[in-house]
Amino acid sequence: MREKLLLLRAFFKMEFITFRRYWMNSLGGMLTLYVIFLVLFGGYQGLRSLGGVEGDPAEVIVVGYVLWFFMLSTYQDVWYTIRTEAQQGTLEQLYMSIHPFGWIMGAKVVARFFINLLLVAILLGAALFTTGVTLNLDLLSLMPVLIGTLLSSLGIGFLIGGITLMFKRIDSYTQMVQFILIALVALPADRVLWMRLLPGSYGATLIRNILVDGATLWGLGVGNLAMLFAIGLLHLAVGYGVYTLCEKKAMFLGMLGHY
Amino acid sequence: MIKVDSLVKTYPASKGNPPVKAVDGVSFEIAKGELVGLLGPNGAGKTSTVKMLCGLVRPDAGRIYLNGQDLLAKRSMALAGVSAVLEGNRNIYWRLTTRENLEFFTALNGQDPKTLVSQIDHYLQFFNLSGKANVEARQLSRGMQQKLAIAVALISGSQVVLLDEPTLGLDVQASYEIRQLLKTVVTEEGRTIVLTTHDMNVVQDTCERVVIINEGRIIADELVKNLLDLFRVRVYRIVIQGALTDEQRSALANIPAVIIESESPEQTSLSVRLEDSSVLYEVIGVLGSGNSLIESIDQEQNNFERIFLELVEGGGHSA
Ligand SMILES: Nc1ncnc2c1ncn2[C@@H]1O[C@H](COP(=O)(O)OP(=O)(O)OP(=O)(O)O)[C@@H](O)[C@H]1O
Ligand SMILES: [Mg+2]
Repeated sequence: MREKLLLLRAFFKMEFITFRRYWMNSLGGMLTLYVIFLVLFGGYQGLRSLGGVEGDPAEVIVVGYVLWFFMLSTYQDVWYTIRTEAQQGTLEQLYMSIHPFGWIMGAKVVARFFINLLLVAILLGAALFTTGVTLNLDLLSLMPVLIGTLLSSLGIGFLIGGITLMFKRIDSYTQMVQFILIALVALPADRVLWMRLLPGSYGATLIRNILVDGATLWGLGVGNLAMLFAIGLLHLAVGYGVYTLCEKKAMFLGMLGHY
Repeated sequence: MIKVDSLVKTYPASKGNPPVKAVDGVSFEIAKGELVGLLGPNGAGKTSTVKMLCGLVRPDAGRIYLNGQDLLAKRSMALAGVSAVLEGNRNIYWRLTTRENLEFFTALNGQDPKTLVSQIDHYLQFFNLSGKANVEARQLSRGMQQKLAIAVALISGSQVVLLDEPTLGLDVQASYEIRQLLKTVVTEEGRTIVLTTHDMNVVQDTCERVVIINEGRIIADELVKNLLDLFRVRVYRIVIQGALTDEQRSALANIPAVIIESESPEQTSLSVRLEDSSVLYEVIGVLGSGNSLIESIDQEQNNFERIFLELVEGGGHSA
């Protein structure tokens, strides 16, 4: 237990040190995404005012955009960490430590969650400011739903991370995940029930309920929350399972490093 | 400390490359406090062997015991006292400083960096990195990065430290410094170190014992000094003025230890490889019979490099 806390603390320290040292990089990347958002949002509003499209209100767009960013970041925290550390040679050190790799990624992800929270807060603030949209920022209701939603992102991260270990140069394909995530967040899982099984879709629906429609955690219903977590854990289990298979194969092929 | 029994690893065929038998029945035992060199040419199977010891590559067959624990059955117990530097300067975090790296890896291995401050300071000083404690690893020179990587492997207190090519790509001075430091670690701290290298000089001046590996097999496992003794064959080079006479040439042809290296009307050079000095007198006798004027007789240095090449080319030697 003590060792796990030390591990967690070590990753908090590492993440905050590197964030402090390289925050310009993170913000630079965010700025690009923000400009894209503005262009999309502007275009969308333009179409709406021309009466060309019947669509979601501005609130929904903002929420979808920010949630997409959070899911993307979380997925990348897992996938990109596995990829770069395999390349750098630090992955092998992590594998030789006293902790199982799952715990190590867990500690990393928890530490990154707080950094992402900070980045998302900035992004959300900017989006709300420039669009004039207001949201029901009920953080207490939001957090559990958010975490349940992000479990699915972790699953995708492990899935892609495992595939990367095996095939190394697949960056051009992993780019697609970004776009798939947009679709997943935007799907109407509130109306089409089977869509709730997809990563992030049901969580996105519940988050819209809170932020846009003003629902509370209890208002969402315990059953629905349980379903959200069950789906998230399922995705995580499948992703981690695939990762474990790939990891075994990589050890067999001697490819845990960067061969 | 380390016991390896009949280790075999064949990498399966991939992308049109045939399968590679990288390690082919390697066995050895290493006791506590030994500093052993795993020496072999490129592609000999050194890295594969070390990575199997680290539990990072799964062997096809064979057993590995670390601290008496079976690595394949009880991975985490076996690896508890083992650390490794596998890619020279690459297994540290480049965006963390020297000290932050040491702290991170201390915590990763279950110890509180706050209680180990003096230990961390000690290694910073020992590796001559105190002045760079707060510099990001990516800004260090290659030699410093390599030293930091080794310090990281030592900081958690592992009894077994595995180093893959610890001096690769370093200049003479940095390489020398690291070799000296490793020797000190073994003598003063009683740790067990296994290092791989393709550089015989590194083994000759760092290790007590060498395991020579070629094409996945062990061709020698000896104390370095015994190996040098064993091959204490002297080679003399004799240079005479002018060419040999026909009689001299046929007489020398009967002495297997003699090779005529070059011959011209002005100067002839012979090399004589001998186990005992009587052959030398015989050769000098032959040369004297033709009234050849001997310009020089030099004894060639016997070094590890030649032994190594002889072993690798001769397909092995069992001692
Ligand atoms: N992951 C891998 N997949 C396929 N073949 C591999 C892999 N790793 C090593 N090999 C091959 O196995 C053989 C032994 O490689 P290894 O890296 O163990 O040798 P080495 O003694 O460390 O050589 P070097 O001095 O070049 O580092 C080589 O022919 C190498 O090409
Ligand atoms: Mg190697």
